[in-house]
Amino acid sequence: MSFSKSKDKSVVAVYKLVKAPIYSHCFSQDRSVLAITCETDCLVYKVSGNKPPVLFATLKDHDKTITAVDISVHGRIVTCSQDRNAYVWEPLSNGTYKPTLVLLRINRAATSVTWAPSGYKFAVGSSARVIAVCYYEHENNWWVSKHIKKPIKSTVNCLSWHDNGVLLAAGGTDGFMRVFSGFIKGLDSKESVAGSPWGQKFPFGSSIKEWYNGAYIHDVKWRSQMERIAYVAHDGTLNVVNSQSAVQSVNAPEGLPYRSLVWINDHEIICGGYSCHPVLFSEASEGWKFAKNLDKADNGKSSALTGVGNNNELEGDGEENATFGISALRKFKELDLKGKVSTDVQESAHENAIVELRPFAGTDGQVTQVSSCGLDGKIVIYTI
Amino acid sequence: MSQSLRPYLTAVRYSLEAALTLSNFSSQEVERHNRPEVEVPNTSAELLLQPMHISRNENEQVLIEPSVNSVRMSLMVKQADEIEQILVHKFTRFLEQRAEAFYILRRVPIPGYSISFLITNKHTESMKTGKLVDFIIEFMEEVDKEISEIKLFLNARARFVAEAYLDEFVY
Amino acid sequence: MEADWRRIDIDAFDPESGRLTAADLVPPYPTIVTLQELQPRMNQLRSLATSGDSTGAVQLLTTDPPYSADAATKEQYFVSVLEALTQVRQADIGNMVKTLNDAQKDILVKYLYKGMSVPQGQKQGGILLAWLEKITQVSGVTPIVHYISDRRTV
Repeated sequence: MSFSKSKDKSVVAVYKLVKAPIYSHCFSQDRSVLAITCETDCLVYKVSGNKPPVLFATLKDHDKTITAVDISVHGRIVTCSQDRNAYVWEPLSNGTYKPTLVLLRINRAATSVTWAPSGYKFAVGSSARVIAVCYYEHENNWWVSKHIKKPIKSTVNCLSWHDNGVLLAAGGTDGFMRVFSGFIKGLDSKESVAGSPWGQKFPFGSSIKEWYNGAYIHDVKWRSQMERIAYVAHDGTLNVVNSQSAVQSVNAPEGLPYRSLVWINDHEIICGGYSCHPVLFSEASEGWKFAKNLDKADNGKSSALTGVGNNNELEGDGEENATFGISALRKFKELDLKGKVSTDVQESAHENAIVELRPFAGTDGQVTQVSSCGLDGKIVIYTI
Repeated sequence: MSQSLRPYLTAVRYSLEAALTLSNFSSQEVERHNRPEVEVPNTSAELLLQPMHISRNENEQVLIEPSVNSVRMSLMVKQADEIEQILVHKFTRFLEQRAEAFYILRRVPIPGYSISFLITNKHTESMKTGKLVDFIIEFMEEVDKEISEIKLFLNARARFVAEAYLDEFVY
Repeated sequence: MEADWRRIDIDAFDPESGRLTAADLVPPYPTIVTLQELQPRMNQLRSLATSGDSTGAVQLLTTDPPYSADAATKEQYFVSVLEALTQVRQADIGNMVKTLNDAQKDILVKYLYKGMSVPQGQKQGGILLAWLEKITQVSGVTPIVHYISDRRTV
């Protein structure tokens, strides 16, 4: 466990857990349990205070890469993977987990999963161009699914439930962000959606509204109190919409797209992605704009280039320094000549892209810390 | 000619950085498969992104074809005369036959280009994208120098051999 | 008998395969722009370029490009765009890029990449690359990231 050398004190903890990319992670509600995906296994750690997490369970039932993991308010872990399956793991009193079968009935990989706020159903997005909303059936001790198919034309990347447990926002590679109804008779009540600005009737599977962006939608998150949805797309934009369909869009300052976002409060969003560090956006009267970077690698000179560890020498010379960044050849040449490398960079905590951000500490009204997982196998906790 | 070399390399660098934003994407057509969508002949159109051509002149070009989980970059090396054409061909074939050790190299270049790279999400997960881009830019610079060097040596050896042989006939 | 029957793309014959073609992705345009409608713009571009008013020419070509025209029309329109872009002097490129807003830079980047993909543009590679360099100096990777994901072709 090491702390980043960044100038701002935004990094609280860095845990390098595995050598593989971590595609998804989740903390339990009391933050004592951390579940991460590691290739075909889901690893479950016990977290206490500032000590590094301790592995106490490995959930091994999948045979292909696990793409997403989520923990419900009751402590149940759901994992879904590229082998077209999902399992719900019940925590037993002796610390192990017992898998329960989920009948997804999809014929392609599952890409993302999220529990509804009530903890009694969850939605799974898949490459089969369907969303499967699953609920428990007592008689057979399994989870059955209902499919949302139309009008999805491509892989579903991300899902987000509204606090009322009925409205489900979904984004995918077809460039559309849609709000569906995930109303399950018997689990949801009409009162929970009474008075919603999104409509009157919410039959299961109907598409309530859709927004076209054009680029792949990487993450979508509801802000239920404000009835707004934020999503990040592959063209490097963060977009916020409300029920009147107004889209407010802002570009990533470093250009590279984001993979994940978290609402900090009603007017601030934090995003993380291919620039390897989180970026905070805030809403002013004229719209959303960039607020600050967290834990950005110090490049020394201009910020026009991106990437970790690049030392920029654009201005002035025109002859020899046509190569940008510390290339391997130049590094060894400099070592040879001067005896040291001339970089003065401070690396950010993540060496590779951030894949998922989750709120870690604080209340729903104001999140104070977020946790992130990345392709470098690290979990990093940031203070905002 | 180095006047347009720097903008050429800058353009390739920025385009490659933008294209190397890859994700692990399971195939939509075949279950339980995960394949580089840029290499699949009949893939769904939304998975392929807009290709980028960067050319310094008609003889030196780069084609970058991005997709959701892979990027194919094809490079056309400057070949001024027949000797250089043969040398470039031999040089690239030497590298291509060792493509497994090279990781990101494609065994067969795209028609119309000298050499092609295929970078997938597996590569960007295990290697830093900044360094990958650095490597490719360096490769582009070095390959020109290598070919000129080989040509010089070739000519020097040819002259030496010719002198040694024809000396016999001089009186 | 089909010689290459092993390589038949069976999914293309399946109506439910859900595969999208490139045509499906292009957003539906209300009207198609024809060559006649573009002629006045092309003439204006030519005249602005030859008269030396490069700023005007660049402003004109980066506003409202003919996305909805068909391929042949776009090719013809592009010839005049290329002329206008290559007639700008290298020293002026930097200032001109600074006067463009983000949407205009995105459109300009599309024209630059298109230019470098056709032989007439490749001959002028040096100038097109100079344009691209100045744009990236000002805006970084952003216009290129926009270009990659934008399905409207110019």
